[in-house]
Amino acid sequence: MTHFFHFIICFFLVIFQTTVMPYFPMFDRFYDLLFPFIIFLSLFRPLRESIPVILFFGFVMDTLSGGPFGLYLTTYLWLFVGVKWMTTFLDVSDSVLLLFVVAAGVLIQNLIFIAAITISSPLTLPFSQVMNTIAVQLIWATFTGPFLLLFFNYSHNKWDKWISQLFVKT
Amino acid sequence: MIVGVIVLIAINIIILSASSRSYSSYYEPGRIAIPFIAPFQKAVTRSVRFVRGLWSNYFYLVTAAKENERIREALNQAVEENNHLLELKLFNIRLRELLEFQKAITSRVIAAEVIGKDPSPWFKTIIIDKGTDDRVRKGMAVVISDGVVGQVISASSHYSKVLLITAHNSSADALVQRTRARGIIQGGATGRCAFKYVLRKHDVQVGDRVITSGLDDVFPKGLSIGQVSRVIKPDAGIFQEVTVIPYVEFEKLEEVLVVLNPLKKQL
Repeated sequence: MTHFFHFIICFFLVIFQTTVMPYFPMFDRFYDLLFPFIIFLSLFRPLRESIPVILFFGFVMDTLSGGPFGLYLTTYLWLFVGVKWMTTFLDVSDSVLLLFVVAAGVLIQNLIFIAAITISSPLTLPFSQVMNTIAVQLIWATFTGPFLLLFFNYSHNKWDKWISQLFVKT
Repeated sequence: MIVGVIVLIAINIIILSASSRSYSSYYEPGRIAIPFIAPFQKAVTRSVRFVRGLWSNYFYLVTAAKENERIREALNQAVEENNHLLELKLFNIRLRELLEFQKAITSRVIAAEVIGKDPSPWFKTIIIDKGTDDRVRKGMAVVISDGVVGQVISASSHYSKVLLITAHNSSADALVQRTRARGIIQGGATGRCAFKYVLRKHDVQVGDRVITSGLDDVFPKGLSIGQVSRVIKPDAGIFQEVTVIPYVEFEKLEEVLVVLNPLKKQL
């Protein structure tokens, strides 16, 4: 059931960011919406729940994107591992750090993407353009990322409660 | 007894007859009761009228509210229908343009709808609703009447992924229509393309139209790509730096044509 919840959320996020968001110019340089979800998995969910979701939706995003195949999968896995590692010595889930964790993740994703682009076709990205895109994504991530994280956590708790009640009744 | 009844009837008739004659008189007996009864009548009548008015107004308001709701709904439907018709009109215009363009390019093409876009600003791809079942194959050109859109980079049975010409890893053989100066169009930043490997000695001016050369065996010859927006001739080197703004508005792409068999168009 938890996997079903994760699947529904990720599916909605993928559809939303590939079909609805491109129609709004203000979201032209929005960050990957799956990122907060991956961070949510790292912070609040166990490994066995998270890995299948990350592998599946990393694959889905790689299929939809024009980047080198495996790029999204790699980014998601590294993000998951990185945040998990961070939580071993930092209480990220209950502090001001939550404000910056999504932004930091977005920055890492951008750096990986830029590295991939630079390797595949050097000298195609002007520095100003790169900086501008990263800055816009970081701003979006800083202001919306924590809310998304909290929303995922809240809805997951609600879902768990609802499922447990449903099974108790039946 | 009978005589008494007859006498009473006679008296009654006489009184009635007398009272009917004095009907217009000011001192008629009925007038005495009016001041006592009328206020009550007035009050009751007004109350009844008030209640009746309230009742009828209530029902009128209810009816009006229902009518208002119905009209509002009808208006919404009309607006929605109007919007739908407007959308159909625009869709029709776009399809007509595509049809005209389809006739013009002499290649076999298939129309497809754009159903998704790459979420990342770093990679520029779109997903279209035609795949291998519709004879779409990897490497096929995707165009619209405005110009070149890109090429198919992967195709499943019903859907395909198209790499836009503005993507950093996209390229197409092209030439300047006016002077036939050749080069390679490569995707760049901010939705612009770099026109690379154009020799310094060739004449390229801002505003020149860049078209496909057809030499890459992907894009049919003579399709519009874009307009030259900047030309830099460095002091050293054999090439000049040319920037091209594509004619296609990639943010507004909705329908495209996939060229199934690129026939080289003779200009």
